[in-house]
Amino acid sequence: MKKMIGPASLFFLLLVLSGLLPGRSAPAGNNYLIGLAVIIQVICLTNLFWNKNKAKVQACSDVAALVMAFLWLWDLFTGRLEILNKFLYPAPGNILKLFTSEFPVMLKGLFNSIQLLAGGYILALLIAIPLALIIGWRGRLYLAVKPLTKVLGPIPPIVYIPYAIAILPTFKASSVFVIFIGAFWPVFINTLNGVFNIEKKIIDTARMLNVKEMPMLFQVILPGALPSIITGATIGLVFSFILLTAAEMIGATSGIGWYVKYFSDFADYPRVIVGIIFMGFVVTVITYFFDRAESYLLRWRR
Amino acid sequence: MTKIILRNLTFSYKDQNGEYTVLKEINLSVAEGEFISIIGPSGCGKSTLISLFAGLLFPSSGSILLDGREIIGTGHDRGVVFQHYSLFPWMSARKNLVFGLKQVKKGSSRKEIEQIADTYLELVGLENFKDHYPSQLSGGMQQRVAIARALAMGPDILLMDEPFGAVDTKNRLALQELLLKLWEDGKKTTTVVFVTHDIDEAILLADRIIVMSSGSGTIKKEITVPFTRPRDKSQLFRTSPYAELRNRLVGLFYDDLLEEREDEIVF
Ligand SMILES: Nc1ncnc2c1ncn2[C@@H]1O[C@H](COP(=O)(O)OP(=O)(O)OP(=O)(O)O)[C@@H](O)[C@H]1O
Ligand SMILES: [Mg+2]
Repeated sequence: MKKMIGPASLFFLLLVLSGLLPGRSAPAGNNYLIGLAVIIQVICLTNLFWNKNKAKVQACSDVAALVMAFLWLWDLFTGRLEILNKFLYPAPGNILKLFTSEFPVMLKGLFNSIQLLAGGYILALLIAIPLALIIGWRGRLYLAVKPLTKVLGPIPPIVYIPYAIAILPTFKASSVFVIFIGAFWPVFINTLNGVFNIEKKIIDTARMLNVKEMPMLFQVILPGALPSIITGATIGLVFSFILLTAAEMIGATSGIGWYVKYFSDFADYPRVIVGIIFMGFVVTVITYFFDRAESYLLRWRR
Repeated sequence: MTKIILRNLTFSYKDQNGEYTVLKEINLSVAEGEFISIIGPSGCGKSTLISLFAGLLFPSSGSILLDGREIIGTGHDRGVVFQHYSLFPWMSARKNLVFGLKQVKKGSSRKEIEQIADTYLELVGLENFKDHYPSQLSGGMQQRVAIARALAMGPDILLMDEPFGAVDTKNRLALQELLLKLWEDGKKTTTVVFVTHDIDEAILLADRIIVMSSGSGTIKKEITVPFTRPRDKSQLFRTSPYAELRNRLVGLFYDDLLEEREDEIVF
């Protein structure tokens, strides 16, 4: 038991101790830093007592140890010793404090961002998947389309942004378009590959059952290609995120990408860091739900 | 009435490296309601022949006639149990049957179809595994689901490619009995083509045994099984005509192996 949370506890103590020492510059944020350390440690301890899965407890407390070690070092070099440039490297306590106060503003921006993201991404899924299913299933179309995907697929979608902004009437339309393109290719190409790689014996079985065109596409080909489709959808989601942020940095007046860009123009680096951390959170939450959906959809695999 | 006729059937697999003839000039006819077993060494083309019957492959030359007509593809009149268990991995055992049945029984309600599916899953002894996905079943259990699906669909011609290969002895006996019972209950109107490499199984089940030769892609011998039905395994296996027939079949196999040996020595 001691071994399990030893490292985490060590850094917890270091972090709290250095937080209690009067720092030179950041007394205001100290309480936030100590608060965070306490939360992390409490999570570790509850895990230790309530979670039966030893490996998971171990992993969780090791992650906690790494995070707290990082926070401690960060605090040491900024708030405590002030070795680093105060202007470029704000102390973690201050960042935490700012994070809590900026949270509502960022959440509002996030709402705009999510609309763009969901619009472009869902549109890409809805168009790319059925299209690729049909094209992949029809051998001749597949042979025609495959070379095209090889040329168009690898073009980094970021290059479309300026052009999309120029040709489309609103910023919203152009970012949805760019996100759509970014998510489209990975989903499309992976779905095609998925269809192509379905085991022959599965297709043969379906043919022996004389499955009609529609159930063939949606009850055999679709689930057969699903593992690959999900791989594509994951890559597409990452692309969408990158493009969303890029588009917002270039042309938006709200949203999380805009937030980071706007404050870096003013050299307000604490807010830039706060924005980046917030984005990390958002991505984590979305990925979590995505993974849940994936393990549900592929529950038949082991 | 003759159900299936093979006329000078030749089949070759073609790829970049050229042609590889697996079946050569085969002639065979199978009567309606007949139960034939195909035996032969590994790689002699048994599965290929099943695929040709199924309509998944087509003759390179010669023809296969079903009810006097050339096969143009797969059809509801034929059901297959493939050598490699071929279930849809994303469907539960029951859903696999339901999905298959839905394709044939267009008029039936969902309830009726589910009932048929449950009945057949019980027949193969899997009533407690209805909602399991194939990945949660052993190989033998998956094969039993595939058998249940083929039987439930009630085709005119049942094509079975080493269907009991992965099944344990106890279930194997039960399945042999089940297959014979269903076939006999159906007034023997179903034509069965049953590939196996178990000689005892072939004798127990078949009206006629087709022995294929290794390498040459031809039928080596057709042997009619003279025993009356219903056949009682434990009785049958003790009789001397049984032993005689069995020895003859083993001899046909052994012969093949001997020839191969001699080939090796010569080269
Ligand atoms: N898709 C294919 N392409 C090329 N050659 C093939 C293909 N499938 C089978 N063959 C070849 O055809 C021959 C016959 O194969 P087949 O699967 O019909 O044998 P089998 O009698 O069913 O053997 P087993 O008892 O091992 O199942 C083998 O030599 C094999 O190498
Ligand atoms: Mg075979």
